Amino acid sequence: MTLKAENVSLLLGDGDEQIKALDDVSVEIAASELVVVLGPSGAGKSSLLAVCGGLRTPTSGKVWIDNTDITSLTPAALTQLRRRHIGFVFQQSNLVPSLSAMDQLLLLVHMQGRKPRAEDRSRALGLLEEVGMAEKKDRRGNQLSGGERQRVGIARAFMTSPSLLLVDEPTSMLDTQRGHAIVELLRRACHEHKVATMMVTHDRGVLDVADRVLEIRDGRLGGVITDATVEMPRIVDAAH
Amino acid sequence: MFIALRDLAFAKGRFALMALVIALIAFLMTFLTGLAAGLIKNNISGLMELDVTHMSFEMDDKPTYRNTMIEREQWEEWAAQPGVKTLEPMGHTVFTARTQRDDPLELVLWGLTPGSLIEPEVLDGTQLGAVSNGVIVSRLLVERDGVQMGDTITLDRVLTELVVVGIAEERNIGHIPIIYAPLAKWQEATYGPPGGPPPGEQLPDVVFDFVSILALQLEDKVTPEQIAAIDDEIGTSTLDRGAFYAASTGYIEEVRTVQIIQIFLFVISAVVIGAFFSIWTIQRTKEIGLVKALGASNGYLLRDALGQALILMAIGVFLGLSLGLWSGQAFMESGRPFMFESDKIMQAMTLLVTAGLLGGALSIRRITGVDPIIALGQEQ
Repeated sequence: MTLKAENVSLLLGDGDEQIKALDDVSVEIAASELVVVLGPSGAGKSSLLAVCGGLRTPTSGKVWIDNTDITSLTPAALTQLRRRHIGFVFQQSNLVPSLSAMDQLLLLVHMQGRKPRAEDRSRALGLLEEVGMAEKKDRRGNQLSGGERQRVGIARAFMTSPSLLLVDEPTSMLDTQRGHAIVELLRRACHEHKVATMMVTHDRGVLDVADRVLEIRDGRLGGVITDATVEMPRIVDAAH
Repeated sequence: MFIALRDLAFAKGRFALMALVIALIAFLMTFLTGLAAGLIKNNISGLMELDVTHMSFEMDDKPTYRNTMIEREQWEEWAAQPGVKTLEPMGHTVFTARTQRDDPLELVLWGLTPGSLIEPEVLDGTQLGAVSNGVIVSRLLVERDGVQMGDTITLDRVLTELVVVGIAEERNIGHIPIIYAPLAKWQEATYGPPGGPPPGEQLPDVVFDFVSILALQLEDKVTPEQIAAIDDEIGTSTLDRGAFYAASTGYIEEVRTVQIIQIFLFVISAVVIGAFFSIWTIQRTKEIGLVKALGASNGYLLRDALGQALILMAIGVFLGLSLGLWSGQAFMESGRPFMFESDKIMQAMTLLVTAGLLGGALSIRRITGVDPIIALGQEQ
């Protein structure tokens, strides 16, 4: 199993302000599997991504990525883990403003402590081609549309050949047609690159790309549906 | 510096403005350093050129050139001390005077033994000694006041007449040009009656028993404690080079004023650059969070940002230094006190870059506090 979270809870805030962002959550995702976590705003979707991506340490419970218990890692080791094993796709605005589309991908190579070589450029160009952005490789974020930025973000997420892909609300800033194209692209890339993918969203219109759909409410992970081709997935409380 | 270089190209306007501010500070610093060196030279060039290690004054807590008198007995005692390589009695008096064209002059008359080590080399004319009232004048008097070779200069009050026999490099003390006269002529002008001795008479010997200061060449082995002991015994105050420069009127005040301005510029530089990078870092917080979420370490981002600050400083300092050197040259050619001392200018530029980087580093360190969680739109 690429990602395994077991009995994960996360408390945020202090004293009376404290809230339970995640409540005893367990989830497993295998390579090439795309799991959509569906839930309304404030349900705990981003907290689940943060914990699985090593951006937050859970209050209790364990998270394993490729059999490594990331909850016991130091901050520096977590940074290295994110750099090497995790790909992130954020909401559309999350590109580095001063970098071209090509440089967004090469940055990840540079962050690993080496100058991008010809094969890195070739790989980056291949990924941009895969998402239909090769022709706009020299454009910066402010010269791209929302959908194009999201495509560059997806290409960037695959640059380091991660084993886990975490996707945050990829359609939130896009119209239905473009949003669907993006999640379809994600599904294809996830299967082609054999990456375990967790996509959190509140958009029910994208569920048909999922191999599995889970629902999250008030920090509790519930429903499971394996047949993602249905228009409105049936949410079943895992406790039942 | 993957991001840093691209940021510089991306936010050209902002960085150009900042480089301009740094360039202006560097320009001011270069210009001020040259001006300080020029002022110092203008103040004490006469002293700087003396090949001596110490100067002895009349015993005083704060000796000055204007208020000192040493007797023959004292300089003879000093000359007999072990470790004294050379001793030259010197006279120093400030006079107002008139040229033969009735132009007013302010000058310092230095009396010295002709042929001694403190006599300057002439650029034109002859050395001292051939004519009893022949004097060597600082070039400044020729260039600024129109004094010419062979001119007669009459000292006010004492009416002593001096004839210009030589012209030396510009030599000043307290910003006043020096005229070098034979010691006996200086003693006559300073201690004798106005107009010189009555016809057919000679000045009393006592006139020639006093000088102002003693220029000393002491051996390296002579310790400050030994000098202090000799001073106590003879009744003198002996100063080393730095201290006898400082005894010149206004020297300390000028140096301190310039130093204070320089310190202010260093502080301004650190604050301005610190403020710029502070705002720049705050503006980049979201981007920094994103890059951290993607796996950038604090070290990677700090190196990147510091490299950016260094490039900005280097560009600004290069521009400011070039402008400073160019305008300094023009200033110097117009006859104003200005002097390039490459080591001091380099030192000032190094300090400026250090101050800027320090200010930048203090601001940039907030990068370490940015939580990558903000990339997911969550609060830190």
